[in-house]
Amino acid sequence: MKADRVDLSVDFTGIRLKNPVVTASGTCGYADELSEYMNVDKLGGLITKSITLKPRKGNPVPRIVETDAGMLNAIGLANIGLERFIKEKLPIIKELKVPLFVNVAGEKISDYVAVAERLATEEAISGIELNISCPNVKEGGITFGTEPKQVEKITKQVKKASGDKPLIVKLTPTVTDIAVTAQAAVGAGADALSLVNTFTAMVIDIESRRPYLANRTGGLSGPAIKPIAVYLVNKVYNEVAKSAGVPILGGGGIRTASDAIEFIIAGATVVAVGTATFIEPDAAVQIIEGMKKYCVRKNVSRVGDLVGNLKD
Amino acid sequence: MVNSGKKASVATVIGNKALKKRFGRLTIQFTGEAAGRFLQVMPGQFVQISLSEAALPNPERISSDLADSAQRQILLRRPFSFCDVTVDRPNCVQVEVLYCVLGPATLRITTLSKGDKISIIGPLGNGFSIPPGKKYALLVAGGMGAPPLRHLATFIRANKPKMRLFAFAGAKSLDDLPFTVEGPKSESPVIPEFSGAGTRLHIATDDGSAGFCGLVTQYMEKWLDESKIPPEDIIVFSCGPEPMLAEVARLSEKYGIDCQVSMERMMACGIGLCQSCAVECKGGTKGETVYKLCCKDGPVFNGREVVFESR
Ligand SMILES: Cc1cc2nc3c(=O)[nH]c(=O)nc-3n(C[C@H](O)[C@H](O)[C@H](O)COP(=O)(O)OP(=O)(O)OC[C@H]3O[C@@H](n4cnc5c(N)ncnc54)[C@H](O)[C@@H]3O)c2cc1C
Ligand SMILES: Cc1cc2nc3c(=O)[nH]c(=O)nc-3n(C[C@H](O)[C@H](O)[C@H](O)COP(=O)(O)O)c2cc1C
Ligand code: FES
Repeated sequence: MKADRVDLSVDFTGIRLKNPVVTASGTCGYADELSEYMNVDKLGGLITKSITLKPRKGNPVPRIVETDAGMLNAIGLANIGLERFIKEKLPIIKELKVPLFVNVAGEKISDYVAVAERLATEEAISGIELNISCPNVKEGGITFGTEPKQVEKITKQVKKASGDKPLIVKLTPTVTDIAVTAQAAVGAGADALSLVNTFTAMVIDIESRRPYLANRTGGLSGPAIKPIAVYLVNKVYNEVAKSAGVPILGGGGIRTASDAIEFIIAGATVVAVGTATFIEPDAAVQIIEGMKKYCVRKNVSRVGDLVGNLKD
Repeated sequence: MVNSGKKASVATVIGNKALKKRFGRLTIQFTGEAAGRFLQVMPGQFVQISLSEAALPNPERISSDLADSAQRQILLRRPFSFCDVTVDRPNCVQVEVLYCVLGPATLRITTLSKGDKISIIGPLGNGFSIPPGKKYALLVAGGMGAPPLRHLATFIRANKPKMRLFAFAGAKSLDDLPFTVEGPKSESPVIPEFSGAGTRLHIATDDGSAGFCGLVTQYMEKWLDESKIPPEDIIVFSCGPEPMLAEVARLSEKYGIDCQVSMERMMACGIGLCQSCAVECKGGTKGETVYKLCCKDGPVFNGREVVFESR
């Protein structure tokens, strides 16, 4: 297999992505920041920071803390809000040749619906990622993502509001059985499933005996969560996604091409790179290169053939 | 738009010297395109250094209070400002970083030696700016806030030779000042690093082990009380722990002096991607505040703009 013969492109909710690597929500700003450090046009896609109806200031500091092989964040969905996003960021993003997915969050279902309706009218947007898994806000966020009935309700309404834009539902791993919430989302019309968001966690400063983060708890991301995320992707693939024909956008702790390929073999059609981008801003591009090398070495002509291709 | 020119660059270590106690000085060199980015560098800007590949010191060289820290893995880059930047030739720049060993990353800095390569992103953020019309600069440093102010002193010397400098540095005790101090017990101890930058440094220590006995902000207030200089001719530049910056900003406002403060925040990315480094600032409308980013909008802010953390 020659490198130029490897087909890295994948079909994701009816959109052709030139490769299966996207940057994860909240880790690549609104694309313009990252484009100073890498050629974002090389990415398969890009997912924006969560957008809410009204601007949000976010949580007090400290908002992050490093842990062994990971980090906790409690940003609190700080974002410029729907209107400023459309006015200030979208014109810049439109210039890029990369499919853009906008991540949507809110406190009430009606907020999510309003944002999705507005985004649905924007041609430059390829799809909507529904964030019902943010562990760091008091209302909304994760509370919509843990109860299967709630997952169903919000997915149904936002799906309707999204018009012809594909809807990706981002699941939280902080549940007893992720297949149940995955099934609820698929049953309500999700076009794809995104997993995992961060794991609720805590770090204590033993000098002051206080929680380190101002928000007390935060979401754990980075290499520490990778094996759990791989397991959850595989579980959702086997129990829900495969039979429903719904693709998975998988991630959690991906740093290298090998990590990304693990997720694809586990059942992800597309992989999201998050925390790794903080360390190497062009991590996603390096992963794409490495993926190609793997395909050459293993004689894989289409990376899509690897999806869920886990042997017993 | 497709301008991916700022990606990480590789620097070569050309020196690493342990100073007293926990302090050290790392000198690194950039060549080629990376050097070009440092030609316009402003004091107060910073770099993100990757230290996860550097080795730990031998266990017997790790002080007991850092033994647990030494067990920790590091994932993220770490922000450091510059104590000095020298342009050898347009395509060769030397950057000096003064560091204090506090945890897993700074422990690893100590083992870097000549010839080692390290990955660096930067220079980043907005440094100090010297407003036109000011005749006097008051530099107020606390602890590890001193290095960027040392850089600023050199910068002002070179670029605004007519500006007069008054530098103050405070620390808990003589040992906690990141510089060598000559004649510590005298009324006016001398710090060669600052003399080299053409200014005398006024020292304050909490325990009186060198210079003025008390807080550096008390020393500053005393100086302001005695000063006959019109406040509009003065600009205050400050870097140090947040409570100290809050007091410097308060005093500056009280005396009607403009003031710039360099803030510190935990940073995951350093380049505006993660929103972890929020600094609360007074907003446009009354009473409202907004969060700005320390890494992109700062680290240097107008002292009047910041709502300091009380925690
Ligand atoms: C813009 C900027 C410039 C800096 N310049 C210098 C410099 O010139 N020289 C220098 O020695 N240090 C500087 N620092 C601080 C330096 O980044 C930290 O000391 C370093 O990251 C500690 O890493 P560690 O793994 O050794 O220790 P850690 O275990 O990560 O930290 C040790 C202690 O320092 C605190 N700390 C760590 N990082 C920060 C931070 N970013 N802001 C506030 N507190 C922190 C931690 O809470 C902990 O108590 C700067 C920080 C910023 C934000
Ligand atoms: C600093 C930070 C901010 C994040 N913000 C968001 C967000 O706004 N919306 C969202 O859906 N996920 C957010 N995430 C979660 C990531 O998109 C990703 O799902 C998670 O970090 C796991 O991947 P990783 O280990 O590769 O980072 C954030 C993660 C981090 C570290
Ligand atoms: S450190 Fe990431 S935005 Fe400032």
